[in-house]
Order: sequence, then structure tokens, then C-alpha cells
Amino acid sequence: MNFDLLKLICGALGTIGLYTVLYRENKFYRFFEHVFLGLAVGYTCVALWTETLYDTWWTKMVGTPADGTEPGTPGYWVWIILLPIGLMGYFVFSKKHNWMSRIPIGIILGLWSGQQIQVWWNRYGPQINGSMKPILPTATDSFTKPVTAALTPDQVAQVNAQVYPSQAISNLIFIFTLLSVLSYFLFSIDAKNKVVRFMSTSGRWLLMVGFGAIFGSTVMMRFSLLIDRLNFIWVEFLQKGILGQ
Amino acid sequence: MAQVEKQPTLGDRLQSLPKWMLYLILIVVMSIPLVFMKGCKVPGKPEESTVDLFYKLMTLPEGSTVLLSSDWTNSTAGESAGQFDSLMRILMRKNIKVCIFTSADPQAPQVARDELMVLNEERKKEGDKPYEQWNDYLILGYFPNAEGTLNAIRSNVRKAFDGKKKLPPGETVPRDVFLSPVLQNIKRVEDFQMVLVITASKTSNITIERLSDKLSADGKLGMMVTGVMGPETQVYYASGQLVGLSKGLKGVFELEQMMAKGLNNPDFATAEIRSEKYKDTPIQGFPGKQNEGKGTKYYPTLHFALGLLILAVIIGNIGMAMSRRQGVEK
Repeated sequence: MNFDLLKLICGALGTIGLYTVLYRENKFYRFFEHVFLGLAVGYTCVALWTETLYDTWWTKMVGTPADGTEPGTPGYWVWIILLPIGLMGYFVFSKKHNWMSRIPIGIILGLWSGQQIQVWWNRYGPQINGSMKPILPTATDSFTKPVTAALTPDQVAQVNAQVYPSQAISNLIFIFTLLSVLSYFLFSIDAKNKVVRFMSTSGRWLLMVGFGAIFGSTVMMRFSLLIDRLNFIWVEFLQKGILGQ
Repeated sequence: MAQVEKQPTLGDRLQSLPKWMLYLILIVVMSIPLVFMKGCKVPGKPEESTVDLFYKLMTLPEGSTVLLSSDWTNSTAGESAGQFDSLMRILMRKNIKVCIFTSADPQAPQVARDELMVLNEERKKEGDKPYEQWNDYLILGYFPNAEGTLNAIRSNVRKAFDGKKKLPPGETVPRDVFLSPVLQNIKRVEDFQMVLVITASKTSNITIERLSDKLSADGKLGMMVTGVMGPETQVYYASGQLVGLSKGLKGVFELEQMMAKGLNNPDFATAEIRSEKYKDTPIQGFPGKQNEGKGTKYYPTLHFALGLLILAVIIGNIGMAMSRRQGVEK
């Protein structure tokens, strides 16, 4: 039995084993769950060293010898300081010494907090800017935006500069959705006013529509993952691996 | 006194199909198009966000370098692998150099390596030169803490990737990655012709937070996200923070369609896939090459699954209506 076929058999057994939980909880599923967890943890430990720590920490600390045309690099032992700081994080498990874990956590929190103003603006600033949409049409010669396929670049620019009624309606729906959803989250004022109550109720309905769309996307994604596994079982394992088609 | 057990009505039965039976039906229904209906085509018009991403990728200058944050593993391979394949096929065929890193998962670099091996085999079959680590691409590995990593890339990309060494082809000693043809001209993150993120995690948000002010104005930031993340990432595209966006399996299918048929090709009037926005610049695509991947292969099956889901919802609702009516009649 060649190694490729062995890999396929292991993959197929693992896939089927994990899916047996759909019928009911069983030992076959438990076995493959533990195999999966063990593999993931083991692989992650090795990968952390080979993909991360070796280049970015170890070789910087110990340096590299000259080899052929490649000059060596000196090691900087000051990098060793990172080790005790990092290890302090594990004292979170000790009742007596858990104060030590607060030092690395504090450093990370400080760095993170310092970035937040810029981070917030980078993320939401352009969205706030993009929410300022015109709701009054500036062109009335056509209800919808004209087709620009046969126009010159100057004429296209002129068309793009106008707001046509259909665009104004779209923008109005956008602004209404934005304001009504925001008003749904106004908990600090008593919503006795009819307008506020209407906006708040509309906001709740529109949020539900949004959640429905997100749920639809989620279902599609879960199906895509199942399709990939079924493709592995039927096509890669059975047809190509076992039957050799 | 013995109690008379209530017999379940048809309405009750329609609402209480055993779970295992539903899963069995789902697997059977999904297996039919996968195994017996290969080559089945589903029509579809690409979304504007995917068209924008495709146009941007196809107009990147040959020989330029892009930075790719490949933040996915086998857990989302159903969508992310297709995204990675279609993106890399475009970049490889345009001879664009790629610097790959991840800040999401230690397994991600190996998954990218495995996928590149498959794509290189495909290139060999098509008579093209395989993509080489060092000369054409680099996989820099896993950088823990996405916030810190992207902040470092933002402020000094040379410091962020400092110490990384890779083995040039034909040599025995690893050398500094900034000596490679991929990174030798890169001094700042803005020097990358484009920064792309394939992600199944929150690294999309973190990239927007850390890099968008440096890249978005020049249209250099694009993303390929899973279907779950599609709605939340769409807002970044709508506000102009992203130049293009591919969402889930549908996005992969759309990219593959445009790779095969082109965009506004041969001209806007007669093209199979049209976009008024780019009417003056037809894009030919890659006729005669392997363009159809996981997107085209899985898309019909997805429709079968969604069809079954809709049917199950309808049957469940009919059952509920029947039960209620019987309850009222009694």
C-alpha cells in the first residue's frame, strides 16, 4: 500500500468518524475527536517553533555562523529577556504568584489601548463618511441612471455627477435604515414619542432582515464545507484513490 | 385507568422527521451532482465587488509584488481553498510575485504550501514554469498576534519580517528574504502593488484597522472572505475601504467564470460577462487554461443543498399549518 493511499484512507476514516455524531454520540466519534485535537495541538507546538520562534527569536538571539558567501550574523543575547516576560504569563495558573502574569498582560493591554483611537477611526471613519448620501435628485430627465456604454468619458463623468430619482430613493432607504437601527439602540431616552417608537420598531424589523441575510450566508458556508468533505470521500478517496478512475 | 396514546397526525409527522434521516437525505441529495452530474453548469451574473477585484488583479503590472495574508486552514477549505486557487492562478499567470504570511493560525503556512504544490503540478501540465520559492514567491510563516503583526507591517515592513530567511534554489544556505527578487524593492507596505487577505477569521477587520489608511485611497486593499463573513465585510467595500471583495463559494464561482470568459470580452456589446464600469477596457481572461476549480465544481451542488433546505422549510410549515388546523377543529 503506497503512502498516498494510506493518507487518503486515514482522511476518509477521520471524516466519516467525525460525521457519525450526526447519528448519535458514539465511541468511534470520540476516538477521532481526540485524534484530531491531539494532532492539532502537537502540530501547533511544532509550527510555532518552525514558522515563528526559530527565525524571529532564536536565530536573532544566538546568531548564525558564516557559511560560503553568506556572512554570519552576531547574536544579541538581550533577546533572552523576552523569555521570562513571556513565561510570566503562565503564572496566571498560580494562586500565590499570579500577580506576575499581570506584567505581560499589562504590556499587551497598554499597546492595544494606545492604538484604539487610530484603529477606531480607520475602521469606522470611511463608513461614517460613506453614509452621507444625497437623498434629493439633481437630475429629472430620467428616472434611472442612464446607460453609459455608448458615451464618451466626459459624458460618463457628467452622468456620474448627477443623482437620479432611483438613486435618491435607494439612498433614502439606506438613510432610513441607518437612522432607525441607530434609534433602536437609544436606551437612554424613554421612547414615548410616536416617531421615535416607529423608528425603533422599524429598526428592529430591519435588523431581523439583516440577521436573516447573515444566517443565509452562514448556511451557505456550512454547506460549502460539507460539499468539500463529500467531494473528498466520493471523488478523491473512492473514485481516484480506491477505484483509480 | 389506561391512558389512550395520542396517534401523531400527518402534520405532526411532517414536523418531526428524525434528524439522522434529514442528514441522510442531505448527503444523498448533495452526492448526486458531485458524482453523477459533473460538468453541470449554473448560470450566474458576477457581483460588482467580485468584478472590481477581478479587474484590479488582471490590471496589476507584470512582475510586481503583492502581499498576501493567507489566514485560512483546512477547516474552511470548502471556500477558502477555492479562493486561494483562483487568486494564485491569476497571479501566477500574470507573473506577479507573492509574499505570503499569516497572523491567524500556525497551520496556515503549510496549507498554503500544499495548495501551491497542487497548482505547480497544474502549471507543469499546462507547459508553464512552476512557481519557485525565493524567485517568485515567499512563505514567511506564522506571526502570532494579528494586531501587533499588522501594526509592525504598517510602520516598518522590513522590521516586521526581519530575521526571516529562506533557501534560494540551488543554494545550501538560507538567506535574508529581503535579498530575494520578491522583496528586494519593498521598503514600505505601500510599495506592494496590492495587499490581499484570504481569511476565515477576524484578520479582515484587523487589516482594515491597521492598513486601510495607507492602502485604501490607492485602491490597493482587496479581500476574499468566507460566506459567513460576507455581509460584515461588504460594508468595507461599500465605503471604499476595499477595492474588491470575493465572498464565499459564490465569489469563487464568479472569479472562475471571469477567468474563463473574460470581462467585456471581446467588447462590451457582445461580451458574455459585462460591466459598464470597465466598458472601455476589455479583459480577455485565460482561455484554454485550467480556470474551473472548486467554485465551478461545487456551485451546482450548493444549489441542490439550498433547494432541499427550502423544501424542508416548506414541508415543516405545511405540517405546522395542518397541526394548527386540526387543533382548531378539535
